Amino acid sequence: MMFVTLSCSLALCLVYLFYNFIDQRRSKSCYILHYECFKPSNDRKLPTEFSVDLINKCKNLGIEEHRFLLRALVSSGIGEETYAPRNILSKRGTLATLRDCQSEMDEFSIETLDTLFSLSGVSPQDIDILVVNVSGMTLVPSLTSRIINHYKMRADIKSFNISGMGCSASLISINLVQNMFKIHKNKLALVLTSEAIAPNWYNGKERSMILTNCLFRCGGCSILLTNKPALRKQAMFKLKCLVRTHLGSSDEAHACCRQQEDDQGHIGFFLGKALPKTATRGLTKNLRSMAPKILPLSAIFHYVLLVNIQKLRATYLHNTAKKRVTMNFKSGVDHFCLHPGGKAVIEGVKRSLVLAEEDVEPSRMTLHRFGNTSASGLWYVLGYMEAKMRLKKGDRVLMIGFGSGFKCNSCMWEVLRNLDDKNVWADCVDKFPPKLPIYPASRNMNGF
Amino acid sequence: MFHYARKSYYNYIDFVPKLFLLAIAFAISLLTIKESPNHLLNHVSFTHALTWFFLIISSFTLFFLKKPQTIYLVDFACFKPSFVLRVPFAAAAEHGRIILASQPKSYDFSLKILERSGLGEETCIPHPLHYIPPNLNMTDARDEAHMVIFSAMDSLFQTTGITPKDIDILIVNCSLFAPTPSLSAMVINKYKMKSDVKNYNLSGMGCSAGLISIDFAKNLLQVHPESYAVVISTETLTPNSYMGTERAMLLPNVLFRIGGAAILLSNKMSQHKHAKYKLLHVVRTHKGSDDKSYRCVSQEEDKDGHVGIALNLDLMLTAGKALKSNISTIGPLVLPVSEKLKFAANILGRKFLELDMKPYMPDFKKAFDHFCIHAGGRAVIDELQKNLGLSDEDVEASRMTLHRFGNTSSSSLWYELGYIEAKGRMKKGDRVWQIGFGSGFKCNSGVWECNKDIEATKAGAWADCIHRYPVNQPKVVKL
Repeated sequence: MMFVTLSCSLALCLVYLFYNFIDQRRSKSCYILHYECFKPSNDRKLPTEFSVDLINKCKNLGIEEHRFLLRALVSSGIGEETYAPRNILSKRGTLATLRDCQSEMDEFSIETLDTLFSLSGVSPQDIDILVVNVSGMTLVPSLTSRIINHYKMRADIKSFNISGMGCSASLISINLVQNMFKIHKNKLALVLTSEAIAPNWYNGKERSMILTNCLFRCGGCSILLTNKPALRKQAMFKLKCLVRTHLGSSDEAHACCRQQEDDQGHIGFFLGKALPKTATRGLTKNLRSMAPKILPLSAIFHYVLLVNIQKLRATYLHNTAKKRVTMNFKSGVDHFCLHPGGKAVIEGVKRSLVLAEEDVEPSRMTLHRFGNTSASGLWYVLGYMEAKMRLKKGDRVLMIGFGSGFKCNSCMWEVLRNLDDKNVWADCVDKFPPKLPIYPASRNMNGF
Repeated sequence: MFHYARKSYYNYIDFVPKLFLLAIAFAISLLTIKESPNHLLNHVSFTHALTWFFLIISSFTLFFLKKPQTIYLVDFACFKPSFVLRVPFAAAAEHGRIILASQPKSYDFSLKILERSGLGEETCIPHPLHYIPPNLNMTDARDEAHMVIFSAMDSLFQTTGITPKDIDILIVNCSLFAPTPSLSAMVINKYKMKSDVKNYNLSGMGCSAGLISIDFAKNLLQVHPESYAVVISTETLTPNSYMGTERAMLLPNVLFRIGGAAILLSNKMSQHKHAKYKLLHVVRTHKGSDDKSYRCVSQEEDKDGHVGIALNLDLMLTAGKALKSNISTIGPLVLPVSEKLKFAANILGRKFLELDMKPYMPDFKKAFDHFCIHAGGRAVIDELQKNLGLSDEDVEASRMTLHRFGNTSSSSLWYELGYIEAKGRMKKGDRVWQIGFGSGFKCNSGVWECNKDIEATKAGAWADCIHRYPVNQPKVVKL
């Protein structure tokens, strides 16, 4: 009799432990319910001719800087329909007032959030966690407070305003939400990721700093996340894993992308020559931690085998001709979402991961259509894949972002249902990829 | 009302399975007690023993799984500015007279504020702001951040004995300066921290950002067991000195001073004996949905294009409202039963029976031994002292911090805690309430319990001047 009661109580304990375990696993999951990329109005488009005009009008620049810039513009991979802040396009010039900066942010946040709330059916008062990441600007009150005020969100909302964390900040925000979801059950989180272009336009003539004017464009994305198990059916993506790598302990890596003043006192972003090398190092280190989590055992085993065979060859046959051994990421990943930082970045990652042209096509097309929108670029790339109807249930998407510091962050999403929304690409996705090479302005460059 | 009901439901629903199990356990113990001990021992076999063993292990696992991790504050270090950076009243008046020569009314206004500010003669501002006019550039702003943060971090490493490679989580909050790479990346670079350190850089969140960072660190430590988290709270004055003459925007120039703090938190079991404090609660309240509250502190451009922070006249009112909101959440967590009953009776009387009663402010002196109120300015401290019914001794830490260090924004709470420790008043079991206010409008509270008797040390920001305190600062210092 006693033994029976004992065993029953033990069984109950174990059942409860198991229930607890499953319950925690379920509520720790991070789902994307909806995401909305920002498409500024047509009057904010920045055609190449306008950029050329701007460069020509710039009194600070000498002839060499002109040539350098125009060449950079032509070969940047950026098209005619990227977006700039209103003050750049107006006759007021490139110096932005506080109001310009505030209105740039308001335009993005209000438009994307209005659409997001109406499409998802969630009301602003349901939001429990709000994260905003805009690298190049701090406002008082913070952008999170601006949004809380505009949408009259609840007083017990947990808000976080992240700044200065560069182009990989949207994955850092996702990481923040992921951690919050592990502690707090049944929550809805909103992540807004963007970049302030207006206050960061460089008005000087340093070559290493003027490139950013050619590459960075306006854009942003609002993402609605949840860990409510009940909303799993409506969710688009599930976060499988996220890895952050920081190379800040290396002085060279830390200094390769830095906001600083030039000799004349103009503030701009310095991009050093060590940037590509640092990015490769960061990517390697990050993928070393990421690979075991996302690749099947066979791919890892295959890689280890090949590396060891090469080592043995080198030791015993003195055959030091090294053929690069790379891990086959395509065995564990169906789609690659690479940060559209610039042509060089995309080429670099394509080479490192041994990817095909169609794998990097979404990133290239995003760079062409929207430019480098900094932290939110990854979401435009994701939008492209969705608009092209390539995201099917069960597909795995690998997002890789780079940022100043130097950081390399990556995460893996699992697609939970067939996705077919044309979203921000609706008016142009059928034109991509273009049949001709995308160098639109070279014919106007007159030999530059 | 519905919101509170929903919250309580979620808080208590977890108890149901636990209660169920407890009932089962009780029933089993009753059954076992009924049988005599001899009978028990005779019938114990190997299977019985094994079952007992697994039952005990399961119970312990259950207990440890469900128990939230205790978050310890191992130690903290405040930045001690060098004497060279101090700005006595005479210097402030002279600089003001020269810089605001074209606007005598603005100069008079600034002087009046300074006279009534509660600041002393030893508050400090960074080098660039000592120039006439101030020399503001990014390099100097970075240097200021270096000086404050690295100095505080070095003290922290010295007092705690940990190495930079031990740090797993790093959170930096600096409201008005967020360069790229971030300040957190700068710290990682300086101290060569490990590559998988989880770092976050919060900005724009005002003077209450310190407690936001603590709350965030607490959440992260719940997810990552056996870790160290460092929170750095600071404010960088160099890039944000107001260069115009608008009166409402001159206030921050008069009140804000250089300061910063580095705090080491941990959830390691080994810190159980060594840590100074245990974190009990952090409550965040955001009144941004109310337009008036939202607009009372905001960054604006004046008519000449100079950017500055304008403080609205109804700042005190907003602070009071935000505090009441915060108290309604934190009250039930910390007040003794007697106060809770009184408060409930008052609510019943006012809201349901519609009796003509004044709202009852619970006596927080029954729940807390020490109070750290954000040293935002004399008016803030006076207002809170009145609202909460505190004595002069309770708010002494805040007033003296304002006098010695000025308004150091988010790190002021740590200077105040340092004052209480330096005075030798912190004993084991004492409870501390930290209240921070910030733009938005936010009111955040942190509750700590002292883990061991703390002795006044020779190190620390207050070590060389604590013997001169408390000081009786007159309401108006005539300049």
